[in-house]
Amino acid sequence: MFSHVMAVLQPYSILTIIIGTVAGVAIGGMPGLTATMAVGLLVPFTYTMDPALGLMLLGGIYCGAMYGGSIPAILLNTPGTPAAVATAIEGFPMSRKGKAGLALKVSVIASFTGGVFSVFILLLFAPMLARQALHFGPPENFLLALMGLAGIVSIADENSSLIKALIAGLLGMIIAIVGTDDMSGSLRYTMGYVELVDGINFMPALIGLFSMIQMLELAGLRRTHKIDMSALHRKQKSEPLPKGIFKFIALGAGTGTVIGVLPGEGATIAAFISYNVSKRISKLKELFGKGNPEGIAAAEAGNNGCVGGSLVPTLTLGIPGNSVAAALMGAFIIQGMIPGPDLFTQYADKTYPFILSMFIANGVFLIVGLTVAPYLARIALIPPAIMVPVVATFAVLGSYALNNAIFDVYMMIAFAGFGLILKKLGYSLEALILGLILGPIAEGGFSQGMIMGKGSPWIFFESGIAKVMWVLIILLLVPPLYSYWKNVAMVKAPPKEALDDLDSLNEPE
Amino acid sequence: MARRHLDRIILLGFAVLAVLLYISTASYPGIAQKTSALYVRFLAVSMGILSIVQLGFSMFRDHDTGRLELTDHWPRFIGLLVALIVFALVFEHAGFYLSAAVFIPVTALLLGYRNYPVIALTTAGVLGFVYLVFEKLLSVNLPGMAL
Repeated sequence: MFSHVMAVLQPYSILTIIIGTVAGVAIGGMPGLTATMAVGLLVPFTYTMDPALGLMLLGGIYCGAMYGGSIPAILLNTPGTPAAVATAIEGFPMSRKGKAGLALKVSVIASFTGGVFSVFILLLFAPMLARQALHFGPPENFLLALMGLAGIVSIADENSSLIKALIAGLLGMIIAIVGTDDMSGSLRYTMGYVELVDGINFMPALIGLFSMIQMLELAGLRRTHKIDMSALHRKQKSEPLPKGIFKFIALGAGTGTVIGVLPGEGATIAAFISYNVSKRISKLKELFGKGNPEGIAAAEAGNNGCVGGSLVPTLTLGIPGNSVAAALMGAFIIQGMIPGPDLFTQYADKTYPFILSMFIANGVFLIVGLTVAPYLARIALIPPAIMVPVVATFAVLGSYALNNAIFDVYMMIAFAGFGLILKKLGYSLEALILGLILGPIAEGGFSQGMIMGKGSPWIFFESGIAKVMWVLIILLLVPPLYSYWKNVAMVKAPPKEALDDLDSLNEPE
Repeated sequence: MARRHLDRIILLGFAVLAVLLYISTASYPGIAQKTSALYVRFLAVSMGILSIVQLGFSMFRDHDTGRLELTDHWPRFIGLLVALIVFALVFEHAGFYLSAAVFIPVTALLLGYRNYPVIALTTAGVLGFVYLVFEKLLSVNLPGMAL
């Protein structure tokens, strides 16, 4: 471990982490730009870098962007990332009361604590879980992929129905079968394109679905909402942290880490759940919505707690905890490091420095946040007309750079165009990318398992690990399926009170 | 086009894709019949069933008559798509720096931005940033270098 610590403390490593983290804070501070977009865009550029440094850069961006979203949320009521929406609810009212300094301080300390705690959990549990993964054979690998796909069910929300989320996941898996069939060596669905022999690279898909779509949406906005800059010009007081705030930070850190571990659950959900729980247990319930620092503490510790949590299943089992983790997984894969036990043995000299670098990244944004946060809020004022061409330039460059293939750029644009239609129709793009990533793992495990079982599917139920995994899959599936069924039943037969309410709404005033 | 109509067309497309996928597995050679073909059939059947179920929901329960609003501003939306494709076509031959030096200001103008000094500074800033950080500091090999 000492050599890994020394690898992180090299001047070049420190510089890379600082660049990544500051860039992450800046990107997170720009409304419309997300951590997934930033990490996805930069993954191809890390291909030619030293693998450990490339991963440190991306780790820094991930940590920085998660925190960065809170700065404009507090000062301008404009969340830089969706995960900072809950922060804006409490942060902006505080800024209007002249308490922006306190809100920013609570936010950065909560983000730091949540981030450090979750990375500590990652460092503690990931190697243990990876050791268990050593016992996995092809049938268990297939079930692992199924477990990741079960996360799709929990991705479904009010914007994407359960069935549509599943369809999107299946679509991703179907796209993943294009290319060479590993079992027979024959080509499938390549339509004569040599570029498709190795399959559809998921990096252009990721850049198209998570970066370019956002740019197309921003470009098509007729008018952007007016930003309230009054808090930037108001004199802000410097105050100490409120008593008892660490209870809410601890709550957010724990909740965020646990939620981050679950496949498909992202930082936004972690922030909102932490915020809602803090609202429920707070003694100052009446202050929520009017500027309660406890809400900021829980939400920020929650979304930063997601960082380390989401990397636990990503690094050990190859199941991305969320879309940023999926993009980071791409960085490991393009360096030839397949997530799983090998990361903690064969590639330990790259994996551990990457994990340890995130402690430093958290420290970097703590310093940035405590010193220059109010000035960084102005990043949110960059007009979309300038932001769009800059991000689009990096999107094209990133898609091209991985294989030096213009075909990948066209794929990126195609994914962006079709993905935008799917998104507007309520399909989950996270599910699509999850299907695309997990598809090859599922197919490999299934095919090899069937050979091992001499054509019998019982091989997938035989081992003790397989049985435990089936239980976990069912546990992942049942609660969301039950609530979906309940919702469908409610729509079918609305309760009498709801009908009465509807009648009263229709009555003239 | 109405949102629900496009949704139904897409779902129908997915159902057709599922059928074609299922049929195509008959041509898988040798051992693939008992392995990959089974997996692809599983995907095809799942996709087919889910698409038909969702199509059923859409036909009988979706009464949304709203239009699908992909964008508020079609000229800018299409303009960005076209600019992207032209950029991709050009930069392989002209190199990254030259094509980006044209793409960034043209797209900013296309999106209605008219502050010329900011556009010029941003373009120079991006190119300088890529050169210094990616090429010099991080030793990234940029494609189609023209400088």
